[in-house]
Amino acid sequence: MVVGQEVARFLFQRIALGALVIVFASALTFFFVNLAPGGPASVMRFDVTAEQREALIKRMGLDKPVTQRYVEWVAGAVHGDFGTSLLTDEPVAQRISERLPNTLTLAGAALLLSIALGIPIGLIQALRRGSALDHFLSFFSAIGLAVPVFWLGIVLILVFAVSLRLLPSAGVTATGDDTVLERIRHLILPTIVLATTILPTVVRFMRSAAIEVLQEDFIRTAHSKGLAPRVVVTRHALRNALIPVISAIGALVPRLLGGTVVTESVFNLPGMGRLALEAAVGRDYPLVIGLTVVGATIAVATTLLVDIAYTRIDPRVRLA
Amino acid sequence: MRLGLSSFLFRTTAAMLVATLAISACASPTQPGTSAAPSAAQAGPVSGGTVTIPIGADPTLNPWSPNAFVESLFINRVLFDGITKPGKDLAPAPDLAESWTTASDGLSWTFKLRSGVKWSDGTPFTADDVAFTFNDVVLKPDLGAQNRASYAAVKSVTVVDANTVRFDLSRKFAALPSFLAYNAGILPKHVLSAEPLKTTSFNKGTPVSTGPFKVDKYTSGQSVSLVRNESYFGPKPYLDKLVFTVVADPNTQVAQALAGDLQIMILDNKAAVDRMKSAPGLSVVARPLVQYYWLSLNQTDSRFTDVRVRQAFVTAIDRAAIIKSVELGYGSIANSPITPALAAYYDPSLASKYPYDPAKATELLKAAGWTPGANGVLQKDGKPFQFTMDVGQRGVLEPVNALIQQDLKKVGVIVDLNTMEWNSYIQKDVVRRDYTATVNWWTYPSDPDVFPYYHSSAAGKGFNIPGYQDPKLDDLLVQGQSTSDLEARKAVYKQLQQYTSEVLPYLFLWYPQEIDVLSTSLNGVPELGLRDAMHYAGEWWLAKK
Repeated sequence: MVVGQEVARFLFQRIALGALVIVFASALTFFFVNLAPGGPASVMRFDVTAEQREALIKRMGLDKPVTQRYVEWVAGAVHGDFGTSLLTDEPVAQRISERLPNTLTLAGAALLLSIALGIPIGLIQALRRGSALDHFLSFFSAIGLAVPVFWLGIVLILVFAVSLRLLPSAGVTATGDDTVLERIRHLILPTIVLATTILPTVVRFMRSAAIEVLQEDFIRTAHSKGLAPRVVVTRHALRNALIPVISAIGALVPRLLGGTVVTESVFNLPGMGRLALEAAVGRDYPLVIGLTVVGATIAVATTLLVDIAYTRIDPRVRLA
Repeated sequence: MRLGLSSFLFRTTAAMLVATLAISACASPTQPGTSAAPSAAQAGPVSGGTVTIPIGADPTLNPWSPNAFVESLFINRVLFDGITKPGKDLAPAPDLAESWTTASDGLSWTFKLRSGVKWSDGTPFTADDVAFTFNDVVLKPDLGAQNRASYAAVKSVTVVDANTVRFDLSRKFAALPSFLAYNAGILPKHVLSAEPLKTTSFNKGTPVSTGPFKVDKYTSGQSVSLVRNESYFGPKPYLDKLVFTVVADPNTQVAQALAGDLQIMILDNKAAVDRMKSAPGLSVVARPLVQYYWLSLNQTDSRFTDVRVRQAFVTAIDRAAIIKSVELGYGSIANSPITPALAAYYDPSLASKYPYDPAKATELLKAAGWTPGANGVLQKDGKPFQFTMDVGQRGVLEPVNALIQQDLKKVGVIVDLNTMEWNSYIQKDVVRRDYTATVNWWTYPSDPDVFPYYHSSAAGKGFNIPGYQDPKLDDLLVQGQSTSDLEARKAVYKQLQQYTSEVLPYLFLWYPQEIDVLSTSLNGVPELGLRDAMHYAGEWWLAKK
C-alpha cells in the first residue's frame, strides 16, 4: 500500500508540475507572439489599404488590449475552446486535430527507427570499440549530425523518387489510391530524414553507456558465472546501458518535433510542423498558441513516461 | 564469441535496412515514365485525364476573402466566374456578362448577363447574385473584403432586371470591365447571405460556384480536387479532373514535376530552368506578366524629391545585369508602369531611355549638388549620401538589393541593407511607411489604369508607396479613367508612360516574365501567364498516351 501511495503522490506531483509548465509556456507564447512585429497575414499584405486594415483588425478583435485578449483566451481554453484560426476561420482545435495524427505517425516512426537502429549500432560500436567498424560508424554519425535536414530530404527525393522512381516524392498517400501500403511508402523517406535528426545522438549515447557498463564488475561476474555472452550482453549489459539512453530519448522528443517543421515542408506532409510554420509566418496568434500548448503537452508527457520507464528498467530506482 | 554476438546485431540492423528498401522496391512505381513519346501530331482535343497543378498553401475558396492569398487565385479563377474575364489578348471578354455599355456621362456601366446560367447546386444564377456580391460584400467597409479598394468609384449595383445589372459610379471609371475580370468572382447569394466571407464550409470545403469545374474534395494541407461542373453554361470541359496539390517548397515542386507528378506549374525557382528544359516530357515557356519591379524612394526625404537624383539612380543601376543574373534573362527593362503584356498600350520606344551609364549618373548627381568628398562618397552640405534600404525576404528581392547596393556604391552613394522577415517588413514599410527606400513589385489588373498606385490621393495611405504627388500626373490618371474609347485611352496612356518615365515617381526596374513548365501531353493552354490561363481550364486537354 505504501508503494501505491508513493506512486500516486509521485504521479500527482509530476502532473501538477507538468500542468504548470504548460500554463507558463502558453502565457509566455501568448504575450511574445502578440508583441512580435508584424500582424496577421490578411492585414500585412501589400495590396490592402489603411481603411481595410482597420476593418480587419476590428473584425479579428485585435483592437482590444493584449491582457484582455489573454483573459478571454484563458476563459475559453479552460472550456476546451482554443479560439478561431485567423487564417482560415476554423476552430484552432479542429485545425490541430486534423494535423496531429500525421505528425505523431511521422515522429513515432522516426523515433522507432532511431531506437531500432541506434541501440544495436551503439552496442556494436561498444563491443568493437576502436575497430575500423567503430570508426566508420562514428564517422557516419558525425555526417548524420552535420547534414541539413532539408538538403538530405531533397537529395533522397531526387534519388529515390526522380531517378529510381522507387518511392513517391511527397504527400501522405497517392491521389485516388489511399491504401496502407501507399501510406507506408509515402512515410519511408520522411521517416529516414527525420530520424537523422536524433539517430546519431541515440547511437552516441548507447555507445558510451554500453562501454561504461561493459567495464562494470557485475558484467565480469556474469561472464565468470559462465553465462553465454549473448545473455550477458542482452540481459545484463543492455538493460543497464539503456537507462541513460532512455533519458536521452526523452530529451530528444522536442528536437524530433522541431525536425518535423522542415521534414513536413520538404515532403509536403500536412502535419503540425508545417502548420506551425504557416501559423508563425502568417501571425495566426490563436493557432500559434494552440500549437504551443499541444507541443508542451507532448514534451511534458514524454518526460513523465521516461520517468515511469526508469522504474521499470532500473530495479534500483524507487519512487521517493 | 563476442564477435559472434556483434555480427548477430549487425545482421539484424542490416536486415532492417534491407526490409525498408524492400518495401519501397516491391511496390510498383506509381507514375509511368515521362519518356513516353510526346504526342506531336494529335487529331484534336480529346476528353479525359487529370491535370495536377502545385500551389504553395491551402487555398481559400472565396475570391473576396482577406485570406485568399496568391495560392488561392489559381483555383478561384477556375471556380468563380466573373462578370468578365481576361481575353486571350488580356482585354476584358464576356464571362457571366454577354455585353456591356457605359452611359453617355460615363457615370454608370450596364452589364447584360448571360441567361440560363446555373450554380453548381442547380440554383439559377441571377442579377441578384451580382448585386449581393458587390452591395453586401465588396462595398461593405466593415467586412474588409480583399480588393475592395479597386471599387472605390462604385457607389452601388442596381438590379435592372433578372439579367441586367447597372454599376453606378461616383466618378468615371473606364477600366471597370477590366477590373471585373481580375479576381472578382461572383458569389452565390443563396448560400452566403448570412456570412459572405467566413463560411468555412464554403471557403475550405465545397463551395457552390458557376465555373467549368467544381470542388469534389478539399483535403486540408494536401490537395483540392475539382471535377466537371455538370451545370456549367459553356462547353463541357475536356479534363475529368483538375487537382491542386499543396506543395509549399519550390524545390519539392521541381522534384515532383521531374517525377511526372505535375502537368503544369509556374517555375518559382528559376535556377532549375535548365534542368526542366532537359527533362523528357516537359516543355518550358516564358509568359509575359502584368507586373513590374520598382525602387521606391520615400518622397518625404528631401534628397529624393530632386528628379535628377532619381534619374541618376536609374542610370546608375545596371538593370540589364539584374535581369540577367537574378531572372536568368526572363524579363525586360522597365521605364514605366505599363507592361509589355498590355500590348495595345505598351510604348516600346521607352525601353532604351536610361541605359546603364555611371558617368552620366555622376553628372546628374553633381548637377543636383552632390559632389565627391573624401573617400569618394558623395556629399552635400557636408553630409554624406547614405541611406538604408529595407529588404523584404521574398522571391528575388535579396539578391536584387545587393546588386543595387553595389551599383550605387560605384557612383559614391552608400546604401545599407536592412533585411527583414516579410510580415514585419510590410508592417514597417507599407503600414507605417517608415522607410527611406525599398524595392518591390506591383501586379495589377490587365488595364493601364494605374490610378491607385500613382494618384496623389493614395500618397501615404493607399498604394502610392513613394508618396509622390504631381498634379500633372493626377490629371493624366483621371483622363485615362474618363474615356472608354480605345484610341483615346491609348493616347492618354502613351503620354502617361512618357511622363512617368521622365519624372520617375517610382524608379522602374524591370518587367519580369513567368516561366511555366508544362507536360508535353497537355494542350489547349492559352499563351498567358498561368494565373490568367486558369480562366481557360475548360479548354485544356491531355493527349492520350
